[in-house]
Amino acid sequence: MSILLAKDLKKYYGEDDTLVKALDGVSLSVERGEFVSIIGTSGSGKSTLLNMLGGLDNPTSGNVIIDDKDISELKGDELCIFRRRKIGFIFQSFNLVPSISVYDNIVLPIKLDGKSVDEDYIENVIDTLGLNEKLKVLPSKLSGGQQQRVAIARALSSKPAIILADEPTGNLDSKTSQDVLGLLKTTSKKFNQTIVMITHNEEIAQMADRIVHIEDGCIV
Amino acid sequence: MFENKTIAKLEQMLDDAIDGKFVETDYDESRLSRLESKWKDFLGSSVLSNENLEKERKRLETFISDISHQTKTPMTNIKMYTELLLEETSRDSEASIEKIQKYAHEISKQNSRLEFLIDSLTKLSRLENGILAVEAREEEVDKLITTSIAAVSAKASLKNIKISHKKFPSLKAFFDLKWTNEALINILDNAVKYTPDGGSVEVFSEKFEMYSAIHVVDDGPGISEEEMAKVFGRFYRGSDFQQDEGVGIGLYLTREIIEKEDGYIKAVANNKRSGGELIVYLRNKS
Repeated sequence: MSILLAKDLKKYYGEDDTLVKALDGVSLSVERGEFVSIIGTSGSGKSTLLNMLGGLDNPTSGNVIIDDKDISELKGDELCIFRRRKIGFIFQSFNLVPSISVYDNIVLPIKLDGKSVDEDYIENVIDTLGLNEKLKVLPSKLSGGQQQRVAIARALSSKPAIILADEPTGNLDSKTSQDVLGLLKTTSKKFNQTIVMITHNEEIAQMADRIVHIEDGCIV
Repeated sequence: MFENKTIAKLEQMLDDAIDGKFVETDYDESRLSRLESKWKDFLGSSVLSNENLEKERKRLETFISDISHQTKTPMTNIKMYTELLLEETSRDSEASIEKIQKYAHEISKQNSRLEFLIDSLTKLSRLENGILAVEAREEEVDKLITTSIAAVSAKASLKNIKISHKKFPSLKAFFDLKWTNEALINILDNAVKYTPDGGSVEVFSEKFEMYSAIHVVDDGPGISEEEMAKVFGRFYRGSDFQQDEGVGIGLYLTREIIEKEDGYIKAVANNKRSGGELIVYLRNKS
């Protein structure tokens, strides 16, 4: 059973002479617990695709179905809450909240949703990501690799239906990248977490269970 | 009135779940919406555990058919050469000692192959069923590498292959020495198998913040990008090597062991560099 389904997604900008087809009929299905990477060069449409999958942008036509829900049916606040509950994001630039501790960053999505924290699970996540000794500090005290580990923990904390990772190692050196990718791979297995990762780098893409190539707005 | 409405809604949620068609209706800050979301999560995870059971059943099915397929070839060969051997010996004084030697040698070779296969399968099943637990603790990486190299050195010297080990004395990681040894021996064995006579195999380690890596680099043909995802599958063998010795279970067992220790394994594609390279990543801390 697929947790994420994209059906004939199209995103066009401009018209007539200036028409740009950023996405031109992309269909994709991701199974529960799968770790998939989407690889393409810059301008291939991979970021546009990720924005559609995450409900950050609307397609010109086509559907995105996450956990049996067509997200084009959702409006405003509904979409916002849906994203908070169903999608975990990992960005190139970490995007942690600078004024609160590492621990508070990790449990933020749960607290925002007014849910109680599943302590055992969170402890396991923190352990796996090697963050035990950093919980009380502010994100600014951490190295880039450590900040990205916090971002992974935050994405995992609310047990979202899917995690979308956009060039998760784009701001890290190659040694640190290997660590972060390894953790993504092992946590996906350990916690049965579905992950879709976008990258332009073949070697990074190879870490996933399955690789999807995108070129000129189409899956090849 | 309000209570009745809520109960009616809850009842509807249950009915829909029973019919397998529950979908969340509202996404807002109300408790009911949160409840719907939790209910959906719960249903999702129970669907998942059913799917996993089904997957496990299918896996077992293919495993059994794989085993019967893999044991068939050596068995048939043993049978054939035994018959030839009997035929030859029945010719008494006219029997060719050369033929007899050749058949006996073939039988012994097929026998070893079968022995290795059964041995690997036994280990694999014990590992997967948790009869033999993988118990990771802090160990020296160099110790692991040295003992593993020792296990394949005889085979390497037969082919005049030199195995070098660049030491990293202070490096420690979390792993089960016995099982990880098994895993690394499989990788080295593979490296020796695919390296031409007189070639070399290099082993070195490096340390990251979370993982320690052990690289095994050989002079063989390496792994192509298309094969990358497949090499760790059960009974997979390189497309050019279908006829060679080996049963293609080693790397599968290796990956299973490493994953049980929360580590992972990766292959470097041969378009990136000449030769083959496999990298094992072990956790630095439990």
